[in-house]
Amino acid sequence: MLRKRIQPMVLQARRLYVDIMFQVMGRALQAVSEVDETVQNDARALPEGLLFEMMVMPDGPRLIVEHTGNGHFHYHGESAPRPIDLSIQFKHIAHAFLVLSFQEKTAEAFAHDRMLVDGDLSYAVRMTRVLNRLEAFILPKLIAERAVKEYPASLHLPEKLVSAARIYLKVATNFVETVRA
Amino acid sequence: MSQKYYEFFCPVKVIAGKAALEHIPYELTGLAAKRPMIITDKGVRAAGLLDPVIAACEESGLDIVSIYDDVPPDSSTSVVRDIAGIYRQEKCDAIIAVGGGSSIDTGKAVNILVSEGGDDIAKYSGAGVLKHPLKPFFVVPTTAGTGSEVTAVAVITDEKKGVKLAFTSSFLLPNAAIIDPRMTLTLPPHITAATAMDAMTHATEAFTCMAKNPLSDAYATAAVKKVSQSLLNVMDNPKDTDGRLELAQASTMAGIAFSNSMVGLVHSLGHATGAICHLPHGLCMSLYLPYVLEFNLESIREPLGELLLHLEGPEVYSATPASRRAEASISAIRKLRDQLYKRCQLPRTLKETGKVLESQLDHIAEQALDDGSIMFNPKEVTLEDAREILRRAWA
Repeated sequence: MLRKRIQPMVLQARRLYVDIMFQVMGRALQAVSEVDETVQNDARALPEGLLFEMMVMPDGPRLIVEHTGNGHFHYHGESAPRPIDLSIQFKHIAHAFLVLSFQEKTAEAFAHDRMLVDGDLSYAVRMTRVLNRLEAFILPKLIAERAVKEYPASLHLPEKLVSAARIYLKVATNFVETVRA
Repeated sequence: MSQKYYEFFCPVKVIAGKAALEHIPYELTGLAAKRPMIITDKGVRAAGLLDPVIAACEESGLDIVSIYDDVPPDSSTSVVRDIAGIYRQEKCDAIIAVGGGSSIDTGKAVNILVSEGGDDIAKYSGAGVLKHPLKPFFVVPTTAGTGSEVTAVAVITDEKKGVKLAFTSSFLLPNAAIIDPRMTLTLPPHITAATAMDAMTHATEAFTCMAKNPLSDAYATAAVKKVSQSLLNVMDNPKDTDGRLELAQASTMAGIAFSNSMVGLVHSLGHATGAICHLPHGLCMSLYLPYVLEFNLESIREPLGELLLHLEGPEVYSATPASRRAEASISAIRKLRDQLYKRCQLPRTLKETGKVLESQLDHIAEQALDDGSIMFNPKEVTLEDAREILRRAWA
């Protein structure tokens, strides 16, 4: 009985968590593309104006970023200014939750058929590398090791702390600006 | 709770063995098809491989209405459009693709156009675009390696845009794959070797990469065993019908395995090398396999060690300490490559191919890093890692 009452709340909390994580990740993608050269180098090969979306099927939470050129991303929130070029789609909110709560690595989620790619696969591979790099920066090493296939050996604590601080500051600033607007 | 999860799907009816081709008329009739079209290439026709297919149909009173025999090695959107036009003009109602990867992929793409309508195959590219079953489609492979007869993918070149279009849908899978040893009896030695090593790589990567699962494992190990036991026999006795059938079945089984558990870095490097240096896919697979297994070793020690049983048999497996089995598996693959080099000079290094320049290695590494299959490699690969593997594979 109690379980029946609690379950809708749990499901709602899960959806809210995924929604918030997408908002954080979208802003963090923009931020990391401003502070990390490796991410910029990876993103530079994407066509200028490419719209990338990560979403939950069929019409769940989503994040949309645009490659504005020179390896920089701009976060568009949940609405795209024009048709999406590259979409990574979780089949269900439960699958998005597994990845965004770091119970399943992004690569594992692909291997487990939790996600689909609509668009150029080589761009999806690049975006996955960018997402992995972002997670390595903004998550504590112990958690990041659960989120990425292999924690980058070249990423040392001082660089991680400085970059993470800059990313979080930019994310917070972007949140405040959004609320003010 | 275990995080393990997998999906496995293979609805293709496999018709394999002696006089398998003679089952085609019955299978076509079962799908109410009366006017089949054959899609093939000039090499297959010149080798006389269409004759038993046509004879098998005619003997049962089923006429092949049209034969298109001009599929190029790298099929294009205009070829697909032209064949679809002939199919419609001749009022065909089924497709039989006879050949290797290109003819099979062309058959899949033509089936999209003639089933869904229109002339522009590009608009059906991508994953999950198709929503309905297509026309009856049969595949008769004439090589034993690609496994295309059981994969839900087709790749066609858009010559206008200069890009390769990928089509992915379970509706692309044929209704039946007909595995008849007569179809591979005349394969020349170097193609027999390269395509068998393609199947070996499909199976090995399926068994060691991230999306491995119990069902694909069963197909993968069986395929490794068949290639290990039959390849050298067939190289020594090309007319060994039983051995040819074993290799053909291994190819299909490896195809079922990798289409359900994907492949890894060997394929990423192979696709890049094929695109840049125009080396045959099977040769690239054979070339890179041991180097990538060495790179992945610590991530795949357990499954790779298990493969020793299927590569070398129970005696060698039991005589090898568990801690050395993974290395012994790599040695077994190297040994097989050496034997193939001895028999048909199948290159073991990039230098031996004579078609790759050392200056191209960086470009290959960069392109490999963007290949979709790299996602499923058990170990993360950096640009420097890829360069190092290529340096080792050079000479």
